[in-house]
This record gives sequence, C-alpha cells and structure tokens, in this order.
Amino acid sequence: MTKSTPAPAPGNSPQNGGGATKPLPRSFIGQVGMRFAGQWGARVGLAWVVTLVLLAVFAPLLASSHPFVWKADGEVSSPWLEHLTAVDAVLLLSFATAMVLLIFRRVSVGARLAAWAWLTSLLAAVAATRSAQQLLESQADDGPGLVFVLVVLMLIGLGAILVVLPIASAAGGRAKLTVGLVGLLIGGGFWFADVSPPANVVYSQYREAAAAERVDWMVLPPLAYSPNDYQRDAMSATGVDPRLLPPTLTHPMGTDEGGADVLSRMIHATRIALAIGLIATGIAVALGILIGGLMGYFAGWVDLIGMRLVEIFSAIPVIFLLIMIVAFYGRNLYLMMVIIGVTGWVGYAIFIRAEFLKLRRMDYVQAAHACGTPLWSILFKHMLPNGVTPVLVLASFGIASAILTESTLSFLGLGLVEEPSWGQLLNQARRAGDQWGLTWFPGLAIFLTVFAYNLVGEAMRDALDPRSAD
Amino acid sequence: MPTEDLRAETPLIEIHDLSVSFPGSGKCAPRTQAADGVDLSIYPRQTLAVVGESGSGKSVSAMSILQLIPTPPGNYDRGEIIWRGRANGGNADGDNLLAYSDKQMRNIRGNQVAMIFQEPMTSLNPVYTIGQQIMEAVLLHQTVSRTEATAVAEQALRDVGIADPASRLKEYPHQLSGGMRQRVMIAMALACQPELLLADEPTTALDVTIQAQILELLRKLQREKNMSILLITHDLGVVAENADVVAVMYAGRIVEFGRVETIFKTPMHPYTRGLLRSMPVLGRKVDRLDTVMDGATIPDDFPDGFAVQPHDPAFKPIAGRGRYGGDDARLHEVLPEHWVLCAAQKEDAAKKATRPQLDYRRASEVIAATS
Repeated sequence: MTKSTPAPAPGNSPQNGGGATKPLPRSFIGQVGMRFAGQWGARVGLAWVVTLVLLAVFAPLLASSHPFVWKADGEVSSPWLEHLTAVDAVLLLSFATAMVLLIFRRVSVGARLAAWAWLTSLLAAVAATRSAQQLLESQADDGPGLVFVLVVLMLIGLGAILVVLPIASAAGGRAKLTVGLVGLLIGGGFWFADVSPPANVVYSQYREAAAAERVDWMVLPPLAYSPNDYQRDAMSATGVDPRLLPPTLTHPMGTDEGGADVLSRMIHATRIALAIGLIATGIAVALGILIGGLMGYFAGWVDLIGMRLVEIFSAIPVIFLLIMIVAFYGRNLYLMMVIIGVTGWVGYAIFIRAEFLKLRRMDYVQAAHACGTPLWSILFKHMLPNGVTPVLVLASFGIASAILTESTLSFLGLGLVEEPSWGQLLNQARRAGDQWGLTWFPGLAIFLTVFAYNLVGEAMRDALDPRSAD
Repeated sequence: MPTEDLRAETPLIEIHDLSVSFPGSGKCAPRTQAADGVDLSIYPRQTLAVVGESGSGKSVSAMSILQLIPTPPGNYDRGEIIWRGRANGGNADGDNLLAYSDKQMRNIRGNQVAMIFQEPMTSLNPVYTIGQQIMEAVLLHQTVSRTEATAVAEQALRDVGIADPASRLKEYPHQLSGGMRQRVMIAMALACQPELLLADEPTTALDVTIQAQILELLRKLQREKNMSILLITHDLGVVAENADVVAVMYAGRIVEFGRVETIFKTPMHPYTRGLLRSMPVLGRKVDRLDTVMDGATIPDDFPDGFAVQPHDPAFKPIAGRGRYGGDDARLHEVLPEHWVLCAAQKEDAAKKATRPQLDYRRASEVIAATS
C-alpha cells in the first residue's frame, strides 16, 4: 500500500513530491494523488499550507530576541539554544527526520511515512511526558498538563491506526528493528537532553548588553524580536512608546497593544493555527472513524445507539460549549482542541458509517472474513482504506473550520493571552487606531489559510470523484 | 498430507440437519427458512456439486460451514457440522464447527477450509497488490517469514498458471482480467493448503472459454493437493464434467443426492427431472424452453401428486403445502446410493431414511477424458 494521498497534514507534504514525480502510480490512491496534484487549486492551497508549516517549524530561527551565538563579557555562548523549548525541539527534530527519510528513495513512501509518524509521535510523547512530569513536580497546574498528555496520546493512537499499523504489519523484521532502535535512541536522548528553558526570560537583556557595549559580537535571527518580547526597555532607551506602532522597517507589521512585534507574533501563531486545525480535526477524525466504523460494520442495534449518539452530539453548540469551558477551566489551548475534536466527530462518523455499511457487503470483505482475518484487520486494513476518502475531503474543510473557531474565540477575547494567535491579534485591531497592520495581516492570514484548506478539500473531492476519472 | 491420517471412509465434513433462518420480509412474517434440515457429507478428494436455483440454500449451507452467515439477522436454528469426523480425536462437541468460537473459526477459515466467490471482479481488495493479499493469507496461518511468504505466494500464482508470477505479485487487481483475478482468488484460497475448498459459483461471472480453463485448473489442483471441493453452481454442464456426487437443493432442502451418473441418467425427484428437462438441447428447435416446474415458482404452488419415479408404493407422493415436501418428508435411500426427498408409507420403507453418505470418486482418467 502506498499512502501517497496528499493528506493535508503538514508532515506529509515533503513526501508528496516523491509520490507525484513517479512516472505512473498504479494504485488507486497513487492515481488520485496524480489527479490531485494536477489541479492548480490543490497546488496553490498546498503551497500556502507548506509555507505555513515551514514558518511554524522554523519560527524560532526566523523571529527570536535571543542571539544564535554571541560573545558577551568575553564568553561565547548560545542564548538561542538555551531558550529552545521542547515544542521547538520536537518540531525541528521531526522536520529533520522527514528530510533524512526523504533521501531514502529506495524505501516505499508508505514505509517512510510510517517511520516518520512513529518517530514524531515518539518525540512528542517524550516531550509531553517530560513536561507533564515537570508540571506535576512543580505542582504548578496539573489540569492542562494532563490534557496535553491526553492529546498527544490520542495523536499517537491516530497515527498508529491510520499510518503505522497497516504499514508496520507489512514491513520487514529488520526494518522494524532499525526504526525501533533509532526511535529509542532519539526518544531516549531527548528525554535526557532536558529541554527546559529558564522560566523567566528577560528579552531586553541583549539590547541592554549591546547598548552597554558588553557584547563583542552576536549573530541575531532575521527578526530580532520574540513574540513575547514587549520591549519594556524601549521607553527608557529611545523614549518612544513601543505600543501600537504602525509598520516600519524595524517592525514590518508594526507592534501590538503590549509592544510586541506583530510579524514575530504572526510567525509564531502559525503553530497554533496549524495545531488547532490538525489536532482538533485529528481527534474528530479518529473518533469518527472508530464510532462510525463500528456502527457501519455491526449495523443493527450498535448502529441504532450510535445514531442517537450522533444526534445528541450534533445538537451541541460548539462555540457556546467552548465559552462555558473557558469560564470554568480557564484559557487552555489543548482543552480547546479536545472540545472541538470531541464535538466534531459526528460528520466523519456518518460518512464512515455509510461507507462501511456499503463495504461490509463487498465480496473482498467477505473474502477476507472467509480467510480467517481478525476483526480489527478487516475493519482498519481492508475496509478503512476503501472508505476513508470522503472523510479526507471532509477533514480538510474541518481543519479550516477549526481554525475559524479558534480565531472566533480569540477574537471574542476568550483565547490565549501570552501565546500568540491570529484571532487574538485581530481582537486588538478594534482598539488599534493608526496601527492598520493589526487588522490586515492577521485577517489576511486567517482568510488565506481557510481558503487554502478549502481549495485543498475541493481539489481532493474532484480528484476522488469517480465521474471525473477517465 | 493432512488427509492421509483420515481413514478413507471417514467423511471430511458432515452436515447434519442444518437449519438456517432469516427474518421474513414483513413485520409479523414468519422467518424464512433458508436452509431446512440439510444433510450433506463430503469425503476426502471428493467433489460434491450442489445444484439448485437461486435462493435454494446452496450458498447458505456452504457459508454456514465457515460461520459466515451474519447473526443477526441470520440464525442457526438446528444442526451440526462435524469437521473431520467425530471419531477422529476430540470430544463429541469439539468437532462441531457451528459450536466453534470466533477464535477457533479463524484457524479453520482460510487454513483448513477456504472459499472462492462468484465475482472475481469484486473479490479482491482494490487498494492492495495481489502479492500483499496472498501474503496476508499465508502470514495469518503459517509461521513463516516475509521472504518465505513471498515465495509461497509466488508458487501459488505459478500453480494456478499465471505467467511471470514475480512481477504479477506487484500488480493491483484492476490491472488483471476477470479470468486472471479468479485464478488469483484460487491461488489465495489454496496458498494455505486447505483440505476443503468451497467454490461458490466460481465460474458464473466468467465467459465460457475462461470457465473451462478455471474448472480444468480446479480439477488439476484438486488432484495435486488432495483436497475436497464443494462446488456450488446452477450450471448442469459444470456439474456433469466436474462432480463426483451431486446434491440437488430446492427451497432449503436437499431433494436428491447421488452419484453424478445416477442423477443425470435416472433422476427421480420431479424437481431434478424438471431441472434436467429445462436445459436446452443443442440442435433441437423448440418454441418455448421448459421451465423447471410448469408455473410453479414457490413450493406452495406445486400440485399434489408429484410422485417419486419410478412409482414405488412404499413412498408417498410429496405434497407442496407448507414446508416443502411436508413435515414427514425425509431423504430416503430409495435405491442403493440414491437418496430422494419423500415420505415413507410403510415401516420398512421408513428404515431407508438415512443420511446421505457416498464415498465415491470418479476415476481421474474418466474426468480427464471428458474434459
């Protein structure tokens, strides 16, 4: 099985190129991939999403107040490396893994994808457990930490069900051993590397040090402002109020209410935009596939109960539920993702149920049954790949709507405070006055991203439509 | 070979009084009896053909062997399916396939009893290469490495006469023709060396020349691998060429059971006779082809007095009301090795109500000559 379907997941996009340049994919999925890649809408949409992925992965490299390397007080050090967070490290390592796997052209796309998914989920799990452990040790807050672990575990489950399991069961013993050992090595190293930046970051120290001529030389990122660098020193140093400055050369998109650089916040906000879309939709798709699949396969009373569950869940107003959750449990991005995911599975479940109701009568499912194939293998190996395509289309629209939901919440002032998000920047635009950058750039980013996901979904729908197939 | 430890006279599989029902169409309608007291037995290396029209319970009986009837809506009302004889070790209930758990069944399915289906076009999963599909079956049932499984799959494809099996393994089902796909299905079914192959109308969807090739192939593989075949078909030509023993089914019951020559030369049951009469004969011009039973499509419509031929006063003619053949109708061994569904008039005739068991195989030369 070659999973070269250009799924909207950002990590898949590097592999897309490998699938599309093949002379003639013979599998159905390969052909769909070819038809998909041939549409301009898909290319434009994917290009934008890939740009966002790159921005999200390289955000600390692009915009950070910390110098990469500097020599201060006669000592060479790397404040950038010291302030690298676990999330930064996971993203960069995962991207590096994807790049390394891209080189192994001899291995099938599916196997590489599985290896990548496995390594990334392992890294994420290590990071999650690590930060949860720290949270519990410091007794700071066990709520969000545990939710985070839950989210990551669900992600790993999704990855295992959709990508790793079918391919891992088809992989050779030596390949499994190699990938497993590499994973253990990277994961173990990551555990002991102890990626924990200092709790209190003083961003102005670099500018103050430079002004005091204590710095011999330093290498700064292209945009020398971290998203949470509120330039507290600006007033005393230059006499200019750093808040709500319109776009200038030093701040290409101006500054926000707190005095932070808008471009820097925009770049770092791509992470939240991508994460909320992918994780919330991922949870929804995983739940939808599981519930819908069981409903469709067993039919009868399982289906009856499932459909009542669907009706109950489709009656929940998500925005109001989210506002209520924020009121009770505070602002928490992961809780937000879980809520959007847990309430959003209904559409996917209905699609998968309809597909499975049709597929369970197919001869090859009967044949697999007559061959002594165990139930989970029939469900997820034989039926799911044949019925998952409409869900993929729906999922790309689901990602767009999850991004919109988060933006709406942030715009209402119920989103995150410290962490940058596009909706939160847009919220500030109401009070921005001359700072037109706060209106235009986050608004455009939200619009383009939702538009891009819709283009991808539209292109995928056309590519999967059997009537458009020759 | 696993069959060799069986005594020749022990049937490989015995179906006793199998009854399977489905819910009726209406709300208060009685359950439809898809199989109604089916008795069958298959001996090692034997080909048993089950003939009958659509809905007569052929497929239901075969699928019951592998517990493939979804329950609900279906239900196994009565009966047992004895695998490899009760005397062959194991306790009394241990060999009843209907009492097997799902886990036990998985060891039977594909491993000891394999099945091939009517529609080769839809019987292969479109998203996997045929190599992956054959290997999955092999890896499920045999403890072999992947490279060994590839070799087994390649050999299986070679066995069914597919040229260049190594490269065919990497192809997807849509790249193969119908006959090729049916060959792949057979290769998949036989990769695990089953002792019994359930062939559910294996050639119906194929054109005539391919049909002949596939049947030839099945005969060849049966000889090579010493397996039994349960051949379900409504093509009497296929039966005449391939079967050793024939069971004619109608309305969920077996109406006649005997050697293939007996059934074709001296059919006794009116349904069998109707079935044979309804076959068009090459070169004979007729205005209307005969139907199996004039005007009678459901058992209720049968006129009384469908007598068993030759008229034997020991047996009652069978009436068509209610349960087909009546409640007292049983399979009677009216002539030696020839069972017919009818009701006995006298006690000595009633003693002939035995389970149909016929350890008979056509000499392979005969089969080779006819093909």
